Amino acid sequence: MEIKGEQEFNGPRELLYELLLDPDVLAGALPGVERFEEVGPETYESTMRVGIASVRGTYTGRVEVLEQAPPEAYRLRIDGSGKPGGVRADATVELSENGSGTTMHYRAEVKARGTIARLGGRLLGGVARLLIGQFFKSIEQQVDDRAA
Amino acid sequence: MTIADGPALPKLIGERVKRREDPRLIQGQATYVDDIKLPGMLHLAFKRSDIAHGVIRSIDTSAAAAMEGVELVITGAELAEHLGPMPIGTPFPAPDHFSVATDKVRYVGEPVAVVVAEDRYIARDAADAIEVEYDELPAVVDPEAAMEADSATLHEGFERNIAVESYWGGTGVNPETAQPEDDSAVDAAFAEADVVVSQRMLNQRLAPNAMEPRGVVAQYEPGREYLTVWSATQNPHILRTLVAAMMGLGEHQVRAVAPEVGGGFGCKINIYGEEYVAAALSRLVKAPVKWIEDRTEAFLTTTHGRDLLGYIDLAAKSDGTITGLKARIIADIGAYEVLLTAMIPTLTGLMMNGVYRLPVVRHELTEVFTNKTPTDAYRGAGRPEGLYFLERAVDMVARELDMDPAEIRRKNFVPADEFPFATQSGLVYDSGNYEPCLDKALEVADWQGLLAERDAARAEGRIVGVGLSFYVEVCGLGPSAVVPTGGWEHSGVTVERGGKVTATTGASPHGQGNETTFAQMLADHFSIPLEDITILHGDTGVVKQGIGTFGSRSQAVGGAALISAAGKAGDKMKQFAAALMTDQEVSPEDLVFEDGRIQVEGAPEVSKTFAEVADYAYVPVPLPPGMEPGVSEEAFFEPENNTYPFGCHISMVEVDRDTGETKLLKLIAVDDCGNVINPLIVDGQVHGGLAQGIGQAMFEEVVYDEDGQPVTASFMDYVMPRAADLPVFELDRTVTPTPINPLGAKGVGEAGTIGSTPCVVNAAVDALAPFGVTHIEMPLRPERMWRLINEGGQS
Repeated sequence: MEIKGEQEFNGPRELLYELLLDPDVLAGALPGVERFEEVGPETYESTMRVGIASVRGTYTGRVEVLEQAPPEAYRLRIDGSGKPGGVRADATVELSENGSGTTMHYRAEVKARGTIARLGGRLLGGVARLLIGQFFKSIEQQVDDRAA
Repeated sequence: MTIADGPALPKLIGERVKRREDPRLIQGQATYVDDIKLPGMLHLAFKRSDIAHGVIRSIDTSAAAAMEGVELVITGAELAEHLGPMPIGTPFPAPDHFSVATDKVRYVGEPVAVVVAEDRYIARDAADAIEVEYDELPAVVDPEAAMEADSATLHEGFERNIAVESYWGGTGVNPETAQPEDDSAVDAAFAEADVVVSQRMLNQRLAPNAMEPRGVVAQYEPGREYLTVWSATQNPHILRTLVAAMMGLGEHQVRAVAPEVGGGFGCKINIYGEEYVAAALSRLVKAPVKWIEDRTEAFLTTTHGRDLLGYIDLAAKSDGTITGLKARIIADIGAYEVLLTAMIPTLTGLMMNGVYRLPVVRHELTEVFTNKTPTDAYRGAGRPEGLYFLERAVDMVARELDMDPAEIRRKNFVPADEFPFATQSGLVYDSGNYEPCLDKALEVADWQGLLAERDAARAEGRIVGVGLSFYVEVCGLGPSAVVPTGGWEHSGVTVERGGKVTATTGASPHGQGNETTFAQMLADHFSIPLEDITILHGDTGVVKQGIGTFGSRSQAVGGAALISAAGKAGDKMKQFAAALMTDQEVSPEDLVFEDGRIQVEGAPEVSKTFAEVADYAYVPVPLPPGMEPGVSEEAFFEPENNTYPFGCHISMVEVDRDTGETKLLKLIAVDDCGNVINPLIVDGQVHGGLAQGIGQAMFEEVVYDEDGQPVTASFMDYVMPRAADLPVFELDRTVTPTPINPLGAKGVGEAGTIGSTPCVVNAAVDALAPFGVTHIEMPLRPERMWRLINEGGQS
């Protein structure tokens, strides 16, 4: 399934780009993260706890940052799994200036397996939107803090 | 001794006797597999693949094995030392299929490892703790793409994923050679036809959804070298045979028990990997083990049904005479061949002659492996698919010629005087009389009234349609020549002391009501009260031999065996009775059973009570010359042919213009299953069948995504028909007895799923015909219907 959307931030895109790829910032911003560490060049491993309905569980995953083009775009390859199944996602993030701040366009092609797949678009889309929303709120806070 | 006359006993055959099994079933007093609890029993959980296709790179069981309460964790490769590949029941070539995958997984849900633990919860947690790494392979999901040269393949040696290919055609199968004749006549018929309809149709994949999921308890007793297996199965005797073979035991060392079984619908014919694993692991851990399937496992791993794609061409003259049929069928059989997988789609072509005189037929069948759950029998098993294709196509011809759907069928019926009738596919229909059945259905439905009602509704702007279908199906499987397990059935009848009767049947019921119908038959045979009769089944330790319950065979084959055994027992009772009445010079041939007595026909004063004679049989002093004590007889019945029941279904649907939702307004079913023992039970069987047949037409569908991930693995996503979705069915019958068995009964368990599905779709197409719609794929989803209303064409 495809998850995509856009989000507006107040800060300049250079700042946003930096924050979005800072392991410490990410560890704080990703909902339910218990561990987020760099294990290689542009490669991170994390443990995340998700507490929502039938996808509840602890997930371990690997995130690779590919094709960096600061401050405009980068690509992520995400592979995570837990008891309720797993997801593999290929995501692109594009940042553009919008006059007053930065607009982020994101698009991810998600392949799920296990229970997560069986729930399909019925639940997965909603869970993803919820988690992404929490993530953006946190990043927004950080942007505001830094910009201030 | 003088015995007071008992009350006259009414004849029970043909009466609406309530099912004797129901009170215990609905009051929680019945024993299902999960109710079986043995001392020291351990529990199994299966680690299952969450990908559709891949090579197992590694399995790490260490975390699972270290958990408290875990007795054993075993992978497929390790288990293969104890269990070989699973047997199948068809003569077709099949790839090796292990109970637990050894090196490669081929569908989501395929087991890769097993945990044995103290309780179900620990077992499940431990299974979750097993880490499996795969090298993923591309998933094969579309059966037509699977046959392309560039498709990934599931099994070595099965190129282009093709499991079975068959072809026959011409003007009939030569009964001498069983070979199809020259089929140039097929092309000629189509070239000369006034009208030809051609349609691609999908008979979609369904999940059987028995109310009780599968389950097994296995207990191997090393001291006795004896294995007992309790399983939710339709056929404990087949289970015994196959488990014994897999375990390297003789059948004398295995007892298989089907306790109460909460529905099967064909999916509990197959003997599954979990059953073999339970048996093997009980021997390995020296303790009884239990496995109970959960609902998601049932969606993923219990065999699916249907999934046939048909390219159907039907040729006719302008007067509606059908002149030829071409059917190219592609069966998506999933990842493996299990017990009857490859055989089921062959029934589709065999039965596509329908109720018509078809001068020429060409039939091509390809069965294809895909990365999905294996298919096997599901209520109707091959016939619903064939009759759906045929009855849709006949309807399309009628529409093309502007003929009444009833009249085009009447025009092409096999006439009553042509039975037994040899079909193009080499079957011989035992008996049939189609026109009175059609007439009765038209009368019960008030066909002309329905059409007027539809037209009036249309004039008001409503979207209403009527549909009709006429089916013939095959029941009463055997004979042994066509059923790999043997096609006979066995029964035992014992007259106990006190004149009570215990009977056994190998036709192990799971909702068919044999305890009632078989008791009705014995009550009439011996003229004793129903309460004096117990029917035992489902336990190979009690029922000496048997085949099982599938293919609507309980009554036509099992009932015939019962009556045969009852006849032998009755003869012996008469001999003992005559011996008790020697002073009255009574011969056994003069005796009849009447109201609890054995009496000289027409002379009730010359009689002994049934109980009195039974007591004498067990203390036979003096023992009549040439006789053995006791009355316990058994019989096998081998049918010489199948039976071919038929029927006409009529329906009316309305589609909501704004939402596309289809509502079934009426369903009329006139079925002919030959003689009826219990009309209430037959009606019940028809009701359940109709609900499932309508379920396929309107609601149900197993869906996989492009990676082979099943997305309909819960009742949230797989739509089952509910009571509120169904109208009050109007049922009626005609009776055309079969000459194949002494009861004249044909079978009715699957009738409802065969007639109703094309009937409802025909009605839906009729409803949308004003929008230019000529065909609608099942299920009749609101979104699909809405699009057709707004965009026209086909779905």
